[in-house]
Amino acid sequence: MMNGLLYAVLTQTLTFLPLALGISISYTLMRATDMTLEGSFVLGAAIFARLATLGFSPYIAAFCALAAGSLAGVMVSFIQRGGRVDPLLAGVLATFILTSANLILMGRPNISLLSQATLVSSAFAQSDTLGWLSVAFYSIFFCMLGCALVATRFGLRLRALGDNPALLQRLGAPLERYRLLGFAFTNTLAAAAGMLTAQTVGYADINMGFGMTLTGIGAIILGQQVLRRILHSARFRVSAEFIACVIGVAMYFMALNGLLRLNIDPIYLKMLLGILLVIFLRTALRRSALAGGISI
Amino acid sequence: MIAPLLQLQDVSLCLPNGGREILSHITYEVQRGDFVVILGSNGSGKSSLLKLLDRRYRATSGHLLLENKALGSFAARPFAQAVRTLTQDCHDSLFVSMSIFENYLLICEQFQARFHFIRRKHARLRLAAYLEPFNEKLANNLDQCVADLSGGEKQTLALALAVCYPPRILLLDEHTSALDPLTAERLLLLTRDVVAQHGMTCLMTTHDLVLAEGCGNRILALRNGRIYQTIEAVEKRALNQQQLLAACY
Ligand SMILES: Nc1ncnc2c1ncn2[C@@H]1O[C@H](COP(=O)(O)OP(=O)(O)OP(=O)(O)O)[C@@H](O)[C@H]1O
Ligand SMILES: [Mg+2]
Repeated sequence: MMNGLLYAVLTQTLTFLPLALGISISYTLMRATDMTLEGSFVLGAAIFARLATLGFSPYIAAFCALAAGSLAGVMVSFIQRGGRVDPLLAGVLATFILTSANLILMGRPNISLLSQATLVSSAFAQSDTLGWLSVAFYSIFFCMLGCALVATRFGLRLRALGDNPALLQRLGAPLERYRLLGFAFTNTLAAAAGMLTAQTVGYADINMGFGMTLTGIGAIILGQQVLRRILHSARFRVSAEFIACVIGVAMYFMALNGLLRLNIDPIYLKMLLGILLVIFLRTALRRSALAGGISI
Repeated sequence: MIAPLLQLQDVSLCLPNGGREILSHITYEVQRGDFVVILGSNGSGKSSLLKLLDRRYRATSGHLLLENKALGSFAARPFAQAVRTLTQDCHDSLFVSMSIFENYLLICEQFQARFHFIRRKHARLRLAAYLEPFNEKLANNLDQCVADLSGGEKQTLALALAVCYPPRILLLDEHTSALDPLTAERLLLLTRDVVAQHGMTCLMTTHDLVLAEGCGNRILALRNGRIYQTIEAVEKRALNQQQLLAACY
């Protein structure tokens, strides 16, 4: 039972992680609540599934899924270009557009990948462990790529954009270009997560991204608060940002799977999950905040 | 004859939608190397004038010329290199959630053509050496987040970063007004030093007549958005605070 739980948490965390990193970059670095991410998550899954069923090689399908994700990011940055559309609204509109686009691309609400060749199918054919190892490889590859980019000047610019866009513009920086590249980057990560999820659960579904962005933001804030209590430092580090993602997402899936395993009626699930997290945040975290000194 | 660095020709500024005039018919010239102190009561339009020069506001009518070229005709980056602003609000000049070093990197990146080849280690050493005369504590804590600095340290850092690639024009909008008297005086001495050292042209607003008396070579006094009084170098030296007060308010 315990093993099964850990297994579920581990595998779900792995496939969710690139999306969480994308959400973290757009939410904590760029300070944008980019709802497009969940649309891109489905887009990645949809394009991969469609191309795979059409007989394309999984590598080509994966490449197209990632490219489509970055295009979705370009689209949302064009919608809010020049500040004429509120950023949150732009994300919601982009998600609207993507929902239709995903349906058109898939041709039906659900595509099964069980009998298709995917990036990880041959590994899974040999053994489950090998299969998950290869999923882990891809997931960590995308995450490391993301972290490496954030550690460069590019990441510095994204943070400056989130911190003080007016100042950045007054310094003469091409603000819109930074934003476009930032959104393209985060949405590519989301598409990567969507594509990996489709391959591990064995299907792409039009509703698979529902509520992901907000859930992800919740998980990330949770992870950051936990990590901050441990590190006692608010200084920005890429590694800390990533570890906060891992902690938050793992805790979220731990709570979710734990509740599922108690055979709780699914209609109570989210309510209990929410209450559990509230209790955790109010007790475990408050106590250490009251311990004294300056809390950050 | 060589043209003035900055020319304001009959400049007016109205609130949007044809509202009240904030500045009306300002005509003034600033020469290279001038240090103009702008005086005037609250709401007289001092900050608005500096915002016009910084292109944050756009003049409703009249002409603003920098080196004989319309202010609006400059591209973003050359303009940013030519004109820097410091206000009492550090958000106008610093990325508050980032470290001192990261702030420096962002400025280098915008202003230095070959940023690609900067080694971080070199940049750190250079920044530490550069900040040393401004404030040793800043120089020794390059990784400290700007938000955790005191008000005086923030303003000192903002000044240091504003002039690390010396602009031609430095605009100061009450940049010492939130500081204690000693820190304010220290910052003002620093300001005067760097302005003189780099031969910058400077426009500074203030409510502190001691500063106005001891600083700068010209005075521009505003009242209700109009020029009320201008005092040039020769007369300025002869005036004391009482006379300044009488002349400018
Ligand atoms: N963006 C704006 N919208 C509306 N009114 C404005 C705006 N900017 C300036 N004003 C008005 O213009 C007038 C001049 O403002 P300004 O900030 O230039 O005064 P100031 O001389 O800097 O005053 P202080 O000494 O208090 O800083 C004020 O009456 C102010 O209300
Ligand atoms: Mg003012």
